[in-house]
Amino acid sequence: MQSTEKKNKSRRKREPQDHQNTHYEKVYRSDRIARYFITAGGYGIIVSILAIMLFLIYQSLPLAGGASITEMFSVKLGNDYPKVLLTGIDSYNEIFYNIDENGNVRFYKTADQETVLKEKIVLLDGEKIVSASKGSLTEDIIALGTNQGRLITAEIEMTPRYSEEGREIIPSFGIEETWQAPAENDSIPLRFEKLVFRQNEDLYRFWSWVDQYGNAGIRIFDADEDEEYTHQLSMEVGDAQISAMSISYNGENYVFATTDGQMFWFDGVDFEELVLKEKWTASGAGITAVNYLLGDQAVVVGSADGEVATWFPVRTTANIFKFQKIHEFRAHKAEVTQIFSSPRNRNFLTIDKSGRAQLHYSTSGKTQASFKSAENPVTAGSFAPKSNALLVMDDQRNFGMFGLDNEHPESTINTLFGKVWYEGYSEPEFVWQSTGGTDEFEPKISLIPVIFGTLKGTLYAMLFSIPIAILAAIYVSQFAPAWLARSIKPTVEIMAALPSVVIGFLAGLYFSPIFEDHLITILMINFWLPVVFVIGIVLWRIIPEEKRTKFPQGWEILYMIPILVLTIALSWWFAKPIETMFFEGNFQQWLYATIGVTYETRNSLVVGFALGFAVIPIIFTMSEDSISNVPESLSSASLALGASRWQTVRRVVLPAASGGIFAAIMLGLGRAVGETMIVLMATGNTPILDINPFNGFRAMSASIAVEIPEAPVGGTLYRVLFLTALLLFLFTFVLNTLSSLIGDRLRKKYARF
Amino acid sequence: MNYAKKSGDSYILAASMGLIISLAMVGWIVVVILIKGLGFFWPRDTYFVQTNDGSSYLGESWAEKSDEIQIQSGERVKRKQYQLKIGNRDVYGRDFVWLDAKDIEAENRPQLATTFERLEFGNFYGFIKVVHSGDKQFDSEHPDFLDEAYNAHDLALDTKGEIEDTRGEITSLTEPLTNLQREIALLEISAESRTTAGQQKLEVLRKTAEETELNIAEEYQALNKKLEELLLKDHAIYLTVETAEGKSREIHLSHVVRFFQPNDMGVLAKSWHYAGKLWEFVADDPRESNTEGGVFPAIFGTVLMVLLMSIAVVPFGVMAAIYLNEYAKQGPLVRFIRLSVNNLAGVPSIVFGVFGLGFFIYVIGASIDQILFSDKLPEPTFGTGGILWASLTLALLTLPVVVVATEEGLLAVPRANKEGALALGSTRWQMIRKVVLPNAMPGILTGLILAISRGAGEVAPLMITGVVKLAPTMPLDAAFPFLHLDRKFMHLGFHIYDVGFQSPNVEAAKPMVYSTALLLIVLVILLNIVAIYFRNRLRKRYKTSTF
Repeated sequence: MQSTEKKNKSRRKREPQDHQNTHYEKVYRSDRIARYFITAGGYGIIVSILAIMLFLIYQSLPLAGGASITEMFSVKLGNDYPKVLLTGIDSYNEIFYNIDENGNVRFYKTADQETVLKEKIVLLDGEKIVSASKGSLTEDIIALGTNQGRLITAEIEMTPRYSEEGREIIPSFGIEETWQAPAENDSIPLRFEKLVFRQNEDLYRFWSWVDQYGNAGIRIFDADEDEEYTHQLSMEVGDAQISAMSISYNGENYVFATTDGQMFWFDGVDFEELVLKEKWTASGAGITAVNYLLGDQAVVVGSADGEVATWFPVRTTANIFKFQKIHEFRAHKAEVTQIFSSPRNRNFLTIDKSGRAQLHYSTSGKTQASFKSAENPVTAGSFAPKSNALLVMDDQRNFGMFGLDNEHPESTINTLFGKVWYEGYSEPEFVWQSTGGTDEFEPKISLIPVIFGTLKGTLYAMLFSIPIAILAAIYVSQFAPAWLARSIKPTVEIMAALPSVVIGFLAGLYFSPIFEDHLITILMINFWLPVVFVIGIVLWRIIPEEKRTKFPQGWEILYMIPILVLTIALSWWFAKPIETMFFEGNFQQWLYATIGVTYETRNSLVVGFALGFAVIPIIFTMSEDSISNVPESLSSASLALGASRWQTVRRVVLPAASGGIFAAIMLGLGRAVGETMIVLMATGNTPILDINPFNGFRAMSASIAVEIPEAPVGGTLYRVLFLTALLLFLFTFVLNTLSSLIGDRLRKKYARF
Repeated sequence: MNYAKKSGDSYILAASMGLIISLAMVGWIVVVILIKGLGFFWPRDTYFVQTNDGSSYLGESWAEKSDEIQIQSGERVKRKQYQLKIGNRDVYGRDFVWLDAKDIEAENRPQLATTFERLEFGNFYGFIKVVHSGDKQFDSEHPDFLDEAYNAHDLALDTKGEIEDTRGEITSLTEPLTNLQREIALLEISAESRTTAGQQKLEVLRKTAEETELNIAEEYQALNKKLEELLLKDHAIYLTVETAEGKSREIHLSHVVRFFQPNDMGVLAKSWHYAGKLWEFVADDPRESNTEGGVFPAIFGTVLMVLLMSIAVVPFGVMAAIYLNEYAKQGPLVRFIRLSVNNLAGVPSIVFGVFGLGFFIYVIGASIDQILFSDKLPEPTFGTGGILWASLTLALLTLPVVVVATEEGLLAVPRANKEGALALGSTRWQMIRKVVLPNAMPGILTGLILAISRGAGEVAPLMITGVVKLAPTMPLDAAFPFLHLDRKFMHLGFHIYDVGFQSPNVEAAKPMVYSTALLLIVLVILLNIVAIYFRNRLRKRYKTSTF
């Protein structure tokens, strides 16, 4: 104290009087600045936690957004403009094209609808194009059918070229081949009333048409062998009038629909002969439009009464595939005339006779939007290659382009949390499979399997940890000798500090083989521990009381060591005989053979045990604190009234500390739920819904850790993982808040003692 | 019986069982890691084993197991198997074999069996037959045969060093020329080349390039000649070795890290070897996709990341704690902040990682790239994982640790001291600076150490914010600006995950993982013990104080 005074004095001496004011100003200023900074630091905490929560919400919120459609422009081309049969656009939405009945191919700029390029297909005298089809969802290969029996296949290319002025799209049009269909009788040429064309990845081409007599024909071009096949389908279809058809994009499947609501499914793998696989009635009214969706599984069926439904083949009990109706969508008020599939996802657009269009998503079964696309029946339309715009042309030559903002069509409450019938599955299921090998993959983003996985891991961890941690806490705080209690706490703190990656690594590479080799031993410990323990107690009682009480208090723990050792030894000795006697020598095989449970090396038992390393210290430390904090006066009073040590603990101390213990369990639960590395390394990370302890699971945290580095920023998977993180956050937030509220109440309750 | 029921001895015993099990678990894990982590570096004896099918093996004995199998007659028989690490991956294609005990006919430990640690293809086990060192040859009859082999190894390593030096010289010699050529190539494809000015510029550049080429030609040829000679010299230093089954092979000594004859080594020699391996582990770069060599870059990355994290978290945490204790009015707001701190402590680490990725990297990092590094786009600089974002993420994660520990330190400062200071006329800030902070220092230190220990062991958030399995460059080096905050880095914890679970040869990589785990645990435990010590001192300090 003296030295400080001296310093102050000397400083004051050095400073002349007139400078004193500036000195104080300095002091006060620094005081003010410090106050601002420190207050900012305090608020910083709230800001941080709010920032985390709000950011997670902000990132996952777009998942809930629907589709929005905005009209970008609409042009009236004039009544003298020929009928347009096909339209399309480049992937930057800069140039669109029209192909009309007179063979004009015109390219326009979307910005100002100026013509960029005009090409003409040379047609014969009096020849008109009457039908058209795009050959692929991704490539601009097209086929045109004329009234003179000619089938023209052409390619449209939109090549981006980069220069100093920026990007420029160079359109081009070239005819690939022309084929003349043999006429029925010499004078009247075939007229392609309806046409569907496909070109698959191996450049095989498939055409299917209906002529003016209602006959269906198919032509296949095998690019490898350079061979052609043609087929007539009228025999199989019978008297029914074919009204719509579609070919899968790989060219392997054909569906035909008729005016009386019947559907025919042909397998086209063998080019020599198409095989009728199924024939069924899909609609009460006539079917007016069908189209395959991306992925070549689901077929959209639109009928004359405006109904829209998706169908795909489902494996039946007889192990054959049959088409089943999967989703019915919001119906149109008029006949469905057009169905367009999105090249990016399971979106599709249906347009009815009145020009009203509806946007649907096949996986979720949801109709996302409904809008008036045209005032008249529509003759042509298309999705933009990036599925962010729609083109529609009606028969009064009105051309409209619509912007489509539909970032996350695959996420709905139902697809995230409900059962969904995915393509190729035989029934609706909860499935998490967010990425696949191909672009056609149907993302399956049900969070239920990962939430279930987290809860499963937590359940086994808590079953293992709670008893051990609480028993240890009771013992250390109430019965253990002081020296032991003093050294236990740091030991447990060190256990808590063990990096989870180390525990996870041991669980995955060290514990799991041990568990696999000694499964019976480990399971039998649960049986032998009580048995040996009871025997131990009986032996303990046999010791005369006077000798027993001489055993220093708190040293019971030493008596437990032989019991534990004996338990493990017994379990180990008996493991082999029991396995041979009851389980045919191999428990894992027996499990599979008798109850159909596969044993995985990295399973929930191992995870439960490994999570114990993370959870036990938390529950132990907090319950030990709350038990120790029960006022001495309470237990002393109980002991003074003649209760034994145990009675005091059970009737007085534990009830008083129960809230704290509950809070401790909540905290432990929070840790188990959020633990990442242990579950990541100690399980197989397969997202399955199975409570059985002998196989693994995939937890929310592990799912995030594994998938988020590869998830495209802003994509559905990215946002779904943010939603998973948000759920984890909220879950632990609730548990922690609960835990600290209980702790606060408890502190108040016992403050008066 | 009544007494027994009342005393509840059995319950007390049961309670102690809980403690025993927890302690046994800690003990188990620590012992396993100690044994496996430390044992790895000890040179193991090599066994020569002959089996009854006529094949022979040379390798280290790694494990044994016994089980029962069903033989064809349906009878169950006991089986005992030994796992032998036979190495020679380039010869056999696998590192390990399991041998049935009953198939083994003969087994011994040949004195001359030699273990080679190589830069590629893992260990080689065999017998040295001939030493080739340039023109000289020594066969096993030669008296100083082994010494010559070691000398040849030294020579090979020296030559290798010289080769690398020469290559470096060549690169630095040709660097101006390469730069010129790159400039020309860039100009040729640019729009500028179509203008006359561009053509002239190109002409000038080409001329300069030619001149430079002429200028350095002589030196370049000399260096190239030297390099060729060195390569020839290196090529001539090799051993002819024989595998267990007597196949002869050549091993180039410049590809060998070290070789030794474990069966011939005494305890002293083995200890020396052990120390060398331990040093290599701590101080060297990893080899063979992280399964051999050292973990120095991972240690370095961990330390640097933790330092950066501390720089971010300590001021923030301490300020927050001071605010809570010295400035804020105790009320609902403070209660809410405390609740937030508690909650922040309970938020799963992966959630921090997600936040770090989404906010730091994709929002802040991407904005920095837009403003400062737009010339490099679309190649991200800060818009991708890096040491800065990883440290900041962990700073957020460890914030509650620092706040709680600092608060504990602040609370331990007696009221009398603070009020005394205020009574003497000091401002609040002066009081905090002169009285509170010095006395709360142990608390702050505890917080810092606990934060470091937490940060060093955390992996999940780092996995998505900037850790990589193999970083080509260190985040701190001699190139300006020395500290590269945007670089990715290696981390001990991630190293464990990566080598143990992602490496193609997990069995061979396991020992390395144990050693890394041991290193990490030792680091974390040491930090914790120091923190516990500080905290206990803090708690005791004012118990006996006279204030």
